[in-house]
Amino acid sequence: MSFFTSGLFWFLEGVCFCLAGAALKHYLEDRGIPMRWWKWMLFAGWVILLGFTIAFITTSAGENETVAALKGGIILVPISIITGAVIWRLLKAGRRPVISQASDQD
Amino acid sequence: MSKAEAGKRCDRRQFLKASGAAGAVLGSTGLGFFGYAAGKDLETYTGCVNLEGAHQLDRTKWQVDKPHYEAVGPTDRPDPRTEFIFDRGMYRNTQVFQDFLESHPEVKEAEEEMARFRQQMNKPRQRPGESEEEYAAKIKAWEEQVKINSEEWDRLMAEDQRCQEDLILSEAWSNAMGAVSPRLSDLVQGGGRMGMRGGGILPGQGGQQQQQEAEPSWAQTSPEKTDAPRRREPLVMKDPKLTSKLIKKMAHEFGSVLVGITQLNPDWVYKYGRHGRGFEPDKVMEVPKHWKYAIVVGTPMSWDPMYANPNFGTSNDAYSKSRIVAYRLTAFIKALGYWARPHTPGTDYDLMVPPIMVDAGLGEQGRHSIVITPELGCNIRPAVVTTNIPMATDKPIRFGVQEFCKGCKICAEICPSGAITRDDKTVVRGYNRYQINYSKCHNFWYCNQGNIGCRICVAACPYTRKANWLHTTALKATAMDTSGVSHKVLTKLQKQLYPSQGKPEDYYMARLGGKNTSYRQPPWWLRTRDFIEL
Repeated sequence: MSFFTSGLFWFLEGVCFCLAGAALKHYLEDRGIPMRWWKWMLFAGWVILLGFTIAFITTSAGENETVAALKGGIILVPISIITGAVIWRLLKAGRRPVISQASDQD
Repeated sequence: MSKAEAGKRCDRRQFLKASGAAGAVLGSTGLGFFGYAAGKDLETYTGCVNLEGAHQLDRTKWQVDKPHYEAVGPTDRPDPRTEFIFDRGMYRNTQVFQDFLESHPEVKEAEEEMARFRQQMNKPRQRPGESEEEYAAKIKAWEEQVKINSEEWDRLMAEDQRCQEDLILSEAWSNAMGAVSPRLSDLVQGGGRMGMRGGGILPGQGGQQQQQEAEPSWAQTSPEKTDAPRRREPLVMKDPKLTSKLIKKMAHEFGSVLVGITQLNPDWVYKYGRHGRGFEPDKVMEVPKHWKYAIVVGTPMSWDPMYANPNFGTSNDAYSKSRIVAYRLTAFIKALGYWARPHTPGTDYDLMVPPIMVDAGLGEQGRHSIVITPELGCNIRPAVVTTNIPMATDKPIRFGVQEFCKGCKICAEICPSGAITRDDKTVVRGYNRYQINYSKCHNFWYCNQGNIGCRICVAACPYTRKANWLHTTALKATAMDTSGVSHKVLTKLQKQLYPSQGKPEDYYMARLGGKNTSYRQPPWWLRTRDFIEL
């Protein structure tokens, strides 16, 4: 079994994505972007789409199915980018002005 | 909070954000590596890594009471004299076959097609004593018949010979795979040539001489002898369910990837005895009473060469493995005191295997007439053991193949010989099913340069894909979908994303107007010119 299809790999993937999720929460807080449940759902959906795009292209490449990798990439990569941009704009909806921590303390 | 504390908190926050960003990058990269591994990993070559049954899926959720085929009229058994393609040479000049041709114009057409192919493949040679003028006249007549210029034919022949050189490793591999075959003596004389008990003889102890004297053959030995148990009285089996479990475990231990058990439907047994199988040839064959159950075993053909059919693939690998499994299983059952007989590839059958596979719950029969299994698609070469050991039987399964095949037709579109129907099912011997023109299929076996056979329909079938997340998800989607939407979408995706490397006519040898195309490139270990100076 390859490391990349093992249970340990998926544990490490989980750690990476938890870290990324926590960081995103702080990042959005710092930018004054409020997150509602539906925004998290939208974002999770986009992450799945992005993951599918990456995994589809690389799996097809691993199978030597170059046509599938190429055509899949041509279709899925722009879709991922466009939906990412749309979702980012939706996330930013209702953004509050940012009050820096330093000025808050002063 | 002091400035220092705020700064420290800020740093921690910044650190977490930076770690998160790194995590996102690492996670995404990891997904990329996962995908590549899922495409490349040998573990996704279902059945090739683990031969102990770990790849056989739990079929409970797909089990149904009745198989997908249905009897729509009076049923009949197949006639091997006309329908068993490998015996055709024996019967071609008989009245039985001529009568069959009259009632089957599609077979007659295929017979004529093959005669034309043979003529085009073989340029006449100059016979000893034949004058130049006579030979020139002969060539001219031949050129007119095959409508091809002699010089052009020579160029195409050279192209075919170059392709033949490319296939040196593939042929050697195929021949090696077919080199090992169990013998009848293993079943009727002893517990195997390496056996210590039960009549086995160790090499170098006079065994060779004894075997030469008493080597039995299927042709000369009746089923009463070949199928007979190795004990006077059968051992009493505690429970049919337990016996079934034991038999399946043994089949996996013997090397089978898939195994299923069913009661033998006599409709699948040939109507007449075949030459060389111990039955009286050409006489209506009574199904032996001890052929009560059928155990179906099967192994896949090597995956990468299979995708490079028709040239680089072979059937010999899986044929040999399945044959060995069936003989081992037969020997095992006989040792328990029960009757058993192997029906094995390539031609040692007394029955049709695909419907027995369906009955045994291994899969559904597809448009191309091959049984499609959930684990291996149609990349499976089966063998059957008929026996009377009491066992619990499996139920047939339905996982959406009939519905998928109705609209897919990829195999029919790519088949170089045009043998696979694009039409609906027809009634064959009383059963509603897809019927292929097996004569045309068989013709193409001799019209390509590869190891005998074709197998492009196996490679092109959307079900014959690796067992990774991508294809198993598609399999589950089609199995669950009763609306047919996923079938249409996936068929279109299959055609767009996994197209054939050539048109159907490209798969023929150059002399017959083709390009010696393979469905996919051969694996590195079959690329002759990378290893051998030519």
